[in-house]
Amino acid sequence: MGSFLSYSVAILISLALHLGLIVLLFVGWQPEVTQVMMQPQYIEAKLVELAPKKVVQPQQSKVDAAKRQREEKLRAEKQRQQKLAAEKSAQEKKRAAELAEQKRLQAERDAEQRRQRDKAEAERKRIESEFAEAMAAEQANIVAQEDERVANSYRQLIQQRLSENWSRPPSARLGMETLIRIQLVPTGRVVGVTIIDSSGDSAFDRSVEQAALKVEQFVELQGMDPGLFERKFRQVDVAFSPEDLRL
Amino acid sequence: MIEENLSIWSLIGNASLLVQGVMAILFLASMLSWVMIVQRGLFLGSAQRGFREFEDTFWSGVDLNNLYRDLTQRAQEEGGSDGIENVFRAGFREFNRLAQTDKADPEAVMAGTDRAMRVALSREDEKLNISLPFLASVASVSPYIGLFGTVWGIMNSFRGLAMVQQATLATVAPGISEALIATAMGLFAAIPAVIAYNRYAAVVESINSSYETFAEEFSSILHRQIHAH
Repeated sequence: MGSFLSYSVAILISLALHLGLIVLLFVGWQPEVTQVMMQPQYIEAKLVELAPKKVVQPQQSKVDAAKRQREEKLRAEKQRQQKLAAEKSAQEKKRAAELAEQKRLQAERDAEQRRQRDKAEAERKRIESEFAEAMAAEQANIVAQEDERVANSYRQLIQQRLSENWSRPPSARLGMETLIRIQLVPTGRVVGVTIIDSSGDSAFDRSVEQAALKVEQFVELQGMDPGLFERKFRQVDVAFSPEDLRL
Repeated sequence: MIEENLSIWSLIGNASLLVQGVMAILFLASMLSWVMIVQRGLFLGSAQRGFREFEDTFWSGVDLNNLYRDLTQRAQEEGGSDGIENVFRAGFREFNRLAQTDKADPEAVMAGTDRAMRVALSREDEKLNISLPFLASVASVSPYIGLFGTVWGIMNSFRGLAMVQQATLATVAPGISEALIATAMGLFAAIPAVIAYNRYAAVVESINSSYETFAEEFSSILHRQIHAH
């Protein structure tokens, strides 16, 4: 057995196998594609039949040739004219009927289109209003978040000021906590300090009160949005405890 | 509406260039390995058949000189020969040459004959083992190549996913599907190669051992002959 022969047989078999595989894949793996058939809108056309009016043949009367001829000629002329008129009227009628039909179809189409347009419009409006609502909610959420962020930065400032001005008494112990309420005006000035929750140590309470009074004015609050101030900073509760200062 | 066509061909067509390259490599590997599989199957089959036929004629009590002459003639006509006859011819030729010289030492004659047969055996062994390493490589490497293509494809499709706002399954599914084709192709190339490699390795082993057995037997016959003189 020649090696050339065996190789060519091998190559042929391999090629056939892979071609078969490719063909199998071509045929076999076609996922079902659902096809949406668009129903075409038919315009119904009817054949309007209009038979030309029968022209009644006048009775032939026996007269002489010339007269007959003349009469015939006259009749022929008359007939022709009648026929013409009949045809004309028939055509007109036909045209009128066609026109009427067309008008009717046009009206139907218009009505259909209007209906669809109205529907689409209503749908669009509904989607738009939903979208607007969602947007408004989102916006409100964002505003609230932004507010909170700004407020937090101010709180940080206040906290910093207070801790700068606070000199702790020697009697301060870990675990003591005094809660005070600071009343502010929009300029940032401190107009009142009340102790809400005492630590129990009067020296400690006093030092806390002193710290708030010593600040006198939180200058940074001047630039604040008045609405935000009214909402969050008209009065500020601050908890003091020796290890750390919390708001 | 976006037209969703998920036939395998469109998936392959939409794949990135690298993944397509990986697929092409795997397809080629599969083709080549099948060529090797079929060719080796034919070759090993004919080797087994040839061995059986040769043993039948050899043990049928035919004159060894005649057998040698016939085989040599056939080999010359066909331009070369394969299998056990080469071992026989090499051994017999060497034995005759050495035995015809005067004052030939029987041990030296046997040693020369054995050496000649050993050489012929190792040549046949080489012939039997051709392209088995290729099958082994395809078997072990092509799943990795396929996996590489898949990982790359999935990487890309996830990167695309990061860009979009609303991630749905439908945005990644085609990419992953297309990437998985590479793994499928890797496995498609590897599985036949593994099976064929294991099978052929066993066949080659058995053919080799029967060649060696024959060589031993032949050697013992020659040994008897040279010591009979």
